[in-house]
Amino acid sequence: MITIKDISHEFEIGKKGNKTIIPVLKNVSFEVNKGEIVTIVGRSGSGKSTLLNLVSGFIRPKKGEIIINGVAISTMNESKFADFRIEHLGFIFQSFQLIPSMTAYQNVELPLILKGVKENERKHRTNEILQMVGLYDYKDHYPGELSGGQQQRVSIARALIVNPPIILADEPTGSLDSETEEDLLNFIITLNKELGITFLIITHDEKVSQIGHRTIELRDGRVLEEAYAYEA
Amino acid sequence: MRLKDQFQFVRQNMKKNRTRLFMTILATAMSVAFLIVLASVGFGLHKSIVKETLERRIVTEIEVPGKEDENGGYKQLTDEDIAYFEKIIDVKAVTRRKSLQEYLFVTGNHEVFAQAVVAHMPSETKAGLELSKGRLPKAENEVVVGYHFVEELHPKDAKDDLYDERGQIKDEYRYKEDLIGQKISMNVIKLEEGKEVKEPIEVTVVGIRKQPTKEWNYDNIVFVSEGVLKQVEDFTGTPRGILKDSNNPDVEVPNIAADQYDQVKVYAKDMESVKNITNELEANNYPSYSVINELKDVNMMFTIVKTGLIFIGTIAILIASIGIYNTMTMAVTERAPDIGIMKAIGANPRTIKKIFLLESSYIGLIGATIGTLVAYGISFIVNFGLPLIIKQAFGEEPPEELTFSYIPITLPIISFLICYIVTILSGLRPAQRATKVDVLQAMRREV
Repeated sequence: MITIKDISHEFEIGKKGNKTIIPVLKNVSFEVNKGEIVTIVGRSGSGKSTLLNLVSGFIRPKKGEIIINGVAISTMNESKFADFRIEHLGFIFQSFQLIPSMTAYQNVELPLILKGVKENERKHRTNEILQMVGLYDYKDHYPGELSGGQQQRVSIARALIVNPPIILADEPTGSLDSETEEDLLNFIITLNKELGITFLIITHDEKVSQIGHRTIELRDGRVLEEAYAYEA
Repeated sequence: MRLKDQFQFVRQNMKKNRTRLFMTILATAMSVAFLIVLASVGFGLHKSIVKETLERRIVTEIEVPGKEDENGGYKQLTDEDIAYFEKIIDVKAVTRRKSLQEYLFVTGNHEVFAQAVVAHMPSETKAGLELSKGRLPKAENEVVVGYHFVEELHPKDAKDDLYDERGQIKDEYRYKEDLIGQKISMNVIKLEEGKEVKEPIEVTVVGIRKQPTKEWNYDNIVFVSEGVLKQVEDFTGTPRGILKDSNNPDVEVPNIAADQYDQVKVYAKDMESVKNITNELEANNYPSYSVINELKDVNMMFTIVKTGLIFIGTIAILIASIGIYNTMTMAVTERAPDIGIMKAIGANPRTIKKIFLLESSYIGLIGATIGTLVAYGISFIVNFGLPLIIKQAFGEEPPEELTFSYIPITLPIISFLICYIVTILSGLRPAQRATKVDVLQAMRREV
């Protein structure tokens, strides 16, 4: 489903003539299979967020190849990748990344609007997904009027609305209290089991890493080890 | 993303900073109103002049003053030329007139000075001559007079108070009888040893021409026959009854042939034929003068004037476009996090660009619509109020036909187009910038 082939990435710091190159990822390779929950753990600066950003297509790798559903995304232009992203990838962010001027309903509906789905169908699917995440009664609330857990649920609903086969999550429980965290993790497991959605989750939280079928630990930009929770 | 949703999106976005949006739309509306009102003055004057020209003269009328000869001089037109004109395709009529002098016409106790002209009645009728009373002349001494001839008839012993404050003969001095069938004396004059010698030629009025359509058009000409002309020439011994002073032999009487005309007008069947007839006449050395020619020059001049005014107005729109550019740039900066989120969840850069371009053109079109409505309002006020102001300030009434400001439908269309193009151009760079928003930076994520 997701193939990371020999990915290397580095950042340039400083101005022209006085540049410092900081390598972030070094020859990282691994695969995420369909229906798997893979968690990537590592200390701060280990390169896990960079790895997720590369898979998300927010940045391009300096070396190596990323293949999602058989398509090499690293060579795609921005416009084509945007169309690919909306079809294949859903995102859950640590700070939810909801548009504050839009209601919960509008935030969830947004990917369908961008996809060009007709209004009637949009309405049906948005209401359905809001019911599913238990926020139907809060649909007219703005993000500022919702709790952290509720905001994250809106974020998940937005990620799910286009039925993506893969969801990329960056510290999904980072802004949540422990009770809400528990709920969210259960919800992710349910989604994985019932809808067969593949999850690639970046976390430094041990609880989160435990829901993964597999955990990949990054250290200094390299894959340190791969641990299986159980045989898939 | 569907167009309807794009519009919805733009409307939502525009609500975010209403004051800034209002000011930008206001600037755009003002610039469009300025362009339209400015250009409408050109259009108004153009319309007034065209209207005035068309009302003053008959559109199908072509005046032919003479024929150019080989030496670059002019030759008066004769029957030979008239016969040629009548053969030109689409010529309806060719009127020709010989002008005599201005004579004193007397009937009973009333008199009036009027010019006698020999007119070819069949061609005059074909060209559209209409009588208000009576019939066309049949006999040699029968005449047709102009409408104002009767109006100007006044008592011989009239005092100084003949005219009223409008410059017209007072009612009590007017000729009240029916002039049709009346015999009037045409007092022809010649000079003998420096003294005037009068010879009254008696003519009968059989017809009175219709009142000219324009108030200022004055017609007191008397149409006489060739027979009357002969009587005049026999008495004066000069062609067309020209006064010859024997005491002043240096002044020569011009040699005018009997079939030579002073005024020749060719009438085309319709307005479209005027150009072809004019071209043919000019190709055969007959310079001509028609309303169409006159309008061609007027139109050319006003096209230049109007273009200039639209250009000046466009500068105003260009200035307003700076405001649109600024608003759009601010909008992109303010909405960078939203743009980042949209890009992250799969918004195509093309869609983002389209949304911002749509927003800038929306501002432009709303501004243009308001500006156009305001311009129509100003135009109405100017046309209504300016004549009153001129009357109050200068005590003079502007001409009735004068339109100070006229907005033809083309003007708002041109303004909308200019405004649309300018706003699209001013929104282009901010829209381009929006597509370049870095997702990670916009979402303030650590990399």
